Amino acid sequence: MTFLHPLVLLGLAAAAIPALLHLLERRLPLEVDFPALRYLSEAERQSARRLKLQHLLLLALRTALIALVVTAAARPLVPVRGGGGSLHQQTALAVILDNSPSSSVVIDGRPLLDRLRVTARSSLLDAGPDDHLWLMLADGVLRRGTRGSLARIVDSAGVASRRLDLSDAVERAARVVDGEPVPAREVHVVSELQRTALGATPQVPRDVRVLALAPLTSPPANLGIGSVIVSGGAVTVSVVGTKGTSTGAVTVRVRGRTVGHGLAGPGAGVAITLPPLPPGWWVGDVELDPDELRADDRRMFVWHVAPPAAVRAGPDVGPFVSAALNVLRDARRIVDGNGVTVGTRPGSGPSVVLPPSDQALVGETNRSLEARGVKWRYWGPGTPGVVTGPSLPDVTGFAVARRYRLAAGIGAQAPAGGGDGAILATVNDEPWLVRDGDVVLIGSRLDTAWTTLPASTGFVPFVDEMVNQLVRGEAAVTQAEGPVHVEFQVRGVDTVGATVFGPDPRESDLTPAAPAVAARALGGQVLDESHFAAERFAGTHRSDASGLLLALALLVACAELGVATLTR
Amino acid sequence: MVATRIDLLDPADVARLGGIEIVARGVVEGFLAGMHRSPFRGFSIEFTEHRAYQPGDELRYLDWKILARSDRLFVKQFEEETNLRSVIAVDVSRSMAWRGSPDRLTKRAYADRLAAALALILLRQRDATGVITFDERVRHVVPARVRAGQWNRLLRALVETPDGAGTAAEPALRQVTSLLARRGLVVLISDLLLDRALTLTALRYLRHRGHQVIVAHVMDPGEMELAGPPEARFRDPESTASMIVRPRELARAYARTVAGEIAAWRSACRRHGITYALVRTDMPFGVALRSLA
Repeated sequence: MTFLHPLVLLGLAAAAIPALLHLLERRLPLEVDFPALRYLSEAERQSARRLKLQHLLLLALRTALIALVVTAAARPLVPVRGGGGSLHQQTALAVILDNSPSSSVVIDGRPLLDRLRVTARSSLLDAGPDDHLWLMLADGVLRRGTRGSLARIVDSAGVASRRLDLSDAVERAARVVDGEPVPAREVHVVSELQRTALGATPQVPRDVRVLALAPLTSPPANLGIGSVIVSGGAVTVSVVGTKGTSTGAVTVRVRGRTVGHGLAGPGAGVAITLPPLPPGWWVGDVELDPDELRADDRRMFVWHVAPPAAVRAGPDVGPFVSAALNVLRDARRIVDGNGVTVGTRPGSGPSVVLPPSDQALVGETNRSLEARGVKWRYWGPGTPGVVTGPSLPDVTGFAVARRYRLAAGIGAQAPAGGGDGAILATVNDEPWLVRDGDVVLIGSRLDTAWTTLPASTGFVPFVDEMVNQLVRGEAAVTQAEGPVHVEFQVRGVDTVGATVFGPDPRESDLTPAAPAVAARALGGQVLDESHFAAERFAGTHRSDASGLLLALALLVACAELGVATLTR
Repeated sequence: MVATRIDLLDPADVARLGGIEIVARGVVEGFLAGMHRSPFRGFSIEFTEHRAYQPGDELRYLDWKILARSDRLFVKQFEEETNLRSVIAVDVSRSMAWRGSPDRLTKRAYADRLAAALALILLRQRDATGVITFDERVRHVVPARVRAGQWNRLLRALVETPDGAGTAAEPALRQVTSLLARRGLVVLISDLLLDRALTLTALRYLRHRGHQVIVAHVMDPGEMELAGPPEARFRDPESTASMIVRPRELARAYARTVAGEIAAWRSACRRHGITYALVRTDMPFGVALRSLA
């Protein structure tokens, strides 16, 4: 049993008042002469037992009366089986409102997010004033606040542009509430429970109850743009969506002008040839016919139209690089010329520098780098590892068996960031692919004895990227999650890269997870709306017993009156 | 007319009219004015009525005719005409000096006036009358006489005897035996806060000696119904005994105990042929005198 106002229990000391009054009253009795004392004595002898019992009963009743009234004033909360109580014991509650793009789907003429907001709001408003509350939206930030402040956030929450991994969100929320020194802990997941929103089963502490709102039984049909890739003068659009949705019309526009149409269903793609365009950065967008989820019906794309690089490869680049350059040459991605030098020593212009196969020649390479004014040098052999390059997805994850450590030369300072001299990829947190001005240095020879990269399908695109973009200082076009738009990277007056924002393709598949799967993936219970409302705080439901205690106090008061009347 | 009879007025009001002598005379005048003859009867040659035989009654007064007819024992009573000898034993113990309210007479004051009135009635009908005052021992003795000034002597004895200490009627009653050589009338006026068994033994002895015995049980109304502050220490004026009592709690049990005590005295007296009368100190003297008759 817990109390809403436990400090009132200090008043239980007042239960000693009847006993104290009894003692104080006896202290200084009046003295009166009474000759018939023998009758009095006889009367008392006959009534002693009854009087003693009555006195004890009165004392007990009065003490109980005070104790009951004080206890009632402290508002005791007793556990109620089945969640019938209107109050609950102090609880740490984290409400996860999934306002990811998929929550904007319109069902029965009303955005799903409206329904989710109502449920999340109820969870917050059902909380007591002493509860510890958090709210997590699709941005993944756990906000602590009061019922009112968090309810206001819920009311004003719009559709976010980010996807929320519910399993991860549940784990983080459970960890936070588990750290609170309160008797009960709950996490309420208010989401449409897309199966694509679930990840690995979270580690939920045993004391934390996770309740998830059950998804709608019949998800609406939906198509969304999964990805848009520009390659070889064509744009390839992949369509994603709820399984079973019929095909939809895809429209491709470049700078507002429609350049092609196509039809595609979930899991299918459509390729549309782009018109010949002069060199420069171009922006286009792909759009699907409107459906119930508008957030994924449009996606932008951007590409750079540039003349092929004129490449001159040195004799020491190795067979894999030579082969890759031949492929690029055949595809007209490069031409022969002196624009870009690929070899163990930099040329006078843009250069891709590989370490020499003979360690004795490293000094010569370093001297040529120094002569070129490049700050980076090859040092001793480095440890094997895996390539990590956030801006270079083509090389990330490949194993490196041999490499030279790259370090800024004596007196030179290794630059960081995305400017000239940036570290483009690392191995074991040591620079592996760096750029200084228009010179790109690789820590390993592009040979299978040094790295597994040449044996992969990403090798030719990587070489293409190096000679056409990296040596020019251009960054790759990257994708990011966010509202549909394009952000360009500029250096000086030159545009050197772009980021295309759009919703996560997984948001387009509105298929809900099966309740059992969702329960397992969230480590809790999946309940429909009515059961969700009933089970909120159900494990800790308490009923205010003060009314019962007051009724009991009234009975005790009546009994006291009866006994006192009998006594008198 | 009733209002002018002193014997029927409130005893406290009557006591305010004057001293014991005036009060007693006024009471007796009023009392006798309402009667044709004295109700105090002894054994005489003039038959008055029958009563049930009690152990100790003389067999010569048995009515043999009734016995023969109904097989029941009755004795004949005769109107006293001359020289009834009577002794009035008045309890002057400390318990008698108590009153439950300032508006009432103490039991002792009431008993003195009652005894004086009774003595005056007896003396007026030429009966030799004496008085014994006692507490735990005999305090004053005025032998039974019928001569002039006897009433004044009795009054002086009553007035001059101070309040005593404890109570023991037995010595006084034994002394009565020596004062009454032949059968007579013994009136015991007491609050009976004494040893009942011993007192009854003494009274039975008097009955055995052929005396007519009357017990006037004087009680203050405050002794019959327990009242007082919510809690008080009640102290026996005749001893060091005391007890803390909440009167409201014990009132009912106390009333039952008092009623039981009165019933016990009445029953015991009736069993031994003793006239018992409960006299409350708020009772008009005339009513009290009639209850003794």
